[in-house]
Amino acid sequence: MAAAQQATVDTGKVKDLLAAHRAEMKRYLSHCMHCTLCAESCFLFMARDKDPRYMPSYKVLNSLGVLYRRRGRVERSFLEKIKKIVWRNCVLCRRCYCPVGVDIPRMIALARAVCRSQGVYPDFDEQGHQESWL
Amino acid sequence: MIIAHRKPLEEIVEMLGQLNPVLVLGCGGCTSICLAGGQREAEQLAADLREDYGNRGGQLEVNTYTIERQCNADFFADIDRLAGDYQAIVSTACGAGVQFVAERYPRLPVLPALNTDFVGFDKDVGWYEENCRTCGDCVLGETGGICPVTRCAKSLFNGPCGGTRADGTCEVDPDIPCAWFEIHKRLREQGRLELITRVRPAREWQNQIRRTVIQEPYRERYGK
Amino acid sequence: MEEFIRGPLVWIAFAVFFAGLLLQGWLFFRNTSPRQRRRLAVPEPKKKKPQKDKKTPLTPAALYAWLVNGSSACYQRHWPRLRRTVLFTHPFMTVVTVVFHTFLFAAPLLARAHNELLRRGLGAGLPSLADAAVDAMTLVVLLCGAIFLWRRLLVRRVRAITTFYDYLVLAITLAPFVTGFMAAHHWLDYHTVILVHIGCGELMLMAIPFTKLGHMIYFFLYRFLLPGEYSFGQGSRAW
Repeated sequence: MAAAQQATVDTGKVKDLLAAHRAEMKRYLSHCMHCTLCAESCFLFMARDKDPRYMPSYKVLNSLGVLYRRRGRVERSFLEKIKKIVWRNCVLCRRCYCPVGVDIPRMIALARAVCRSQGVYPDFDEQGHQESWL
Repeated sequence: MIIAHRKPLEEIVEMLGQLNPVLVLGCGGCTSICLAGGQREAEQLAADLREDYGNRGGQLEVNTYTIERQCNADFFADIDRLAGDYQAIVSTACGAGVQFVAERYPRLPVLPALNTDFVGFDKDVGWYEENCRTCGDCVLGETGGICPVTRCAKSLFNGPCGGTRADGTCEVDPDIPCAWFEIHKRLREQGRLELITRVRPAREWQNQIRRTVIQEPYRERYGK
Repeated sequence: MEEFIRGPLVWIAFAVFFAGLLLQGWLFFRNTSPRQRRRLAVPEPKKKKPQKDKKTPLTPAALYAWLVNGSSACYQRHWPRLRRTVLFTHPFMTVVTVVFHTFLFAAPLLARAHNELLRRGLGAGLPSLADAAVDAMTLVVLLCGAIFLWRRLLVRRVRAITTFYDYLVLAITLAPFVTGFMAAHHWLDYHTVILVHIGCGELMLMAIPFTKLGHMIYFFLYRFLLPGEYSFGQGSRAW
């Protein structure tokens, strides 16, 4: 992983992925009312003392939202940061409920795909993985 | 969780035959957690295939892509775009995932890279034990939390048979503990030994057909 | 400037509003195709046609049975899913938002002055409510808006995802109501206030299709047309 961490981000690849889903995702992002009514539908939010960082909307806005806002120009350290959001803080159970109808799971899945395109993904045999991932 | 392991490379190569180019489709679900078919393993398989073809003087054009789950249509948007560029997909998902992909792209050969083994738990990193045969008729409440279907060589609902050895192992293999001996021990510790005398009707194992589950609140939605 | 806000900009605002909604609708239908949905691996569920019961004579006993059995069946069928919707996780917010959105449309559409202008301009208008009723509606909208603002400012989880844009959109939405109320009661200089009121209204109309206020149209498109666990009906389009 050390070599991968030093490598730079292939911005073209990230941009291609974002562009392929732009119509759908930009619309979803622009119609999130930031109302937080999705929070209770996330079992992790409920299980983590209602920590706002586990709200579905928080997770989407701080991963995919930032990727689109920065038009894909992000550093590897940022991908490492959103790796924690989209894998550790979300299990992609697809049970989140948005009153407006924003498809939150697909946005998380796209954020994961962007990370994967740069070789950023969880290692399930890394030291202490039980604590950090499961 | 579903546990699987990779097929021998020769078998995958044989399945592929002349198919070229190939997409190795990784799965971010169970098979990535059991270290058999996640992104890393998919990329490893692609590298192994490339090397194998190279060693034999051939060339295989092989790319990898990993989606979050291969058993749900929600995650296929990217593959829908990519699939047309390939002659075959090698899926590193479980059997369910492979069939889902095959059903979605019926004109494309979809080949399994893994052998799907069982539903089990993590003993340690990379070490898994079978614990459930998904028989659909759970008796764990009466057997001290030890599954006789999985852990008895004969899958007896009413045991033990006459094959238990004196040291409590199975006649099939001296290294395997007799499941019903274990159940007896556990129930005795719990003071619920009378449960072992309860007779459970033998299960009908033959003529298994494909099973469907629709949860009660959703019956209406699917008109069932 | 004043003439522009009172005259052409009104028409421009309405044109942008309606054209914007049409544009957004067109974009949605262009970007989603039912053909994609047909490619799904899992075939769409076939709906069984409900069997028509033979007509029974309407006696009090039959009516009673229909009510009791019907409501209990309805309860059993819908309760497990309904329970998990925001109606039950956030009953207060559900009431606030429903009331807010209802009066948000009702107050301006049923205000006497608005309809008078419409009748003068187009020769026809909607029926009007008494001024006191519209005043009450406006105050309720503002109260709900204040609740939204209070949530943005003080509730931890809302604050966690609030940006300047949220305050801006809330201000754009509430400004016409504040100024409208002021104008109706001739607070401050009427001439200035009514001009500001018209300007705010025009701004809001033009903002709706192009900001997150677009959920006015997209709420229905998402909820009814995209298939999903919580969509109404089956949904027939896919992204």
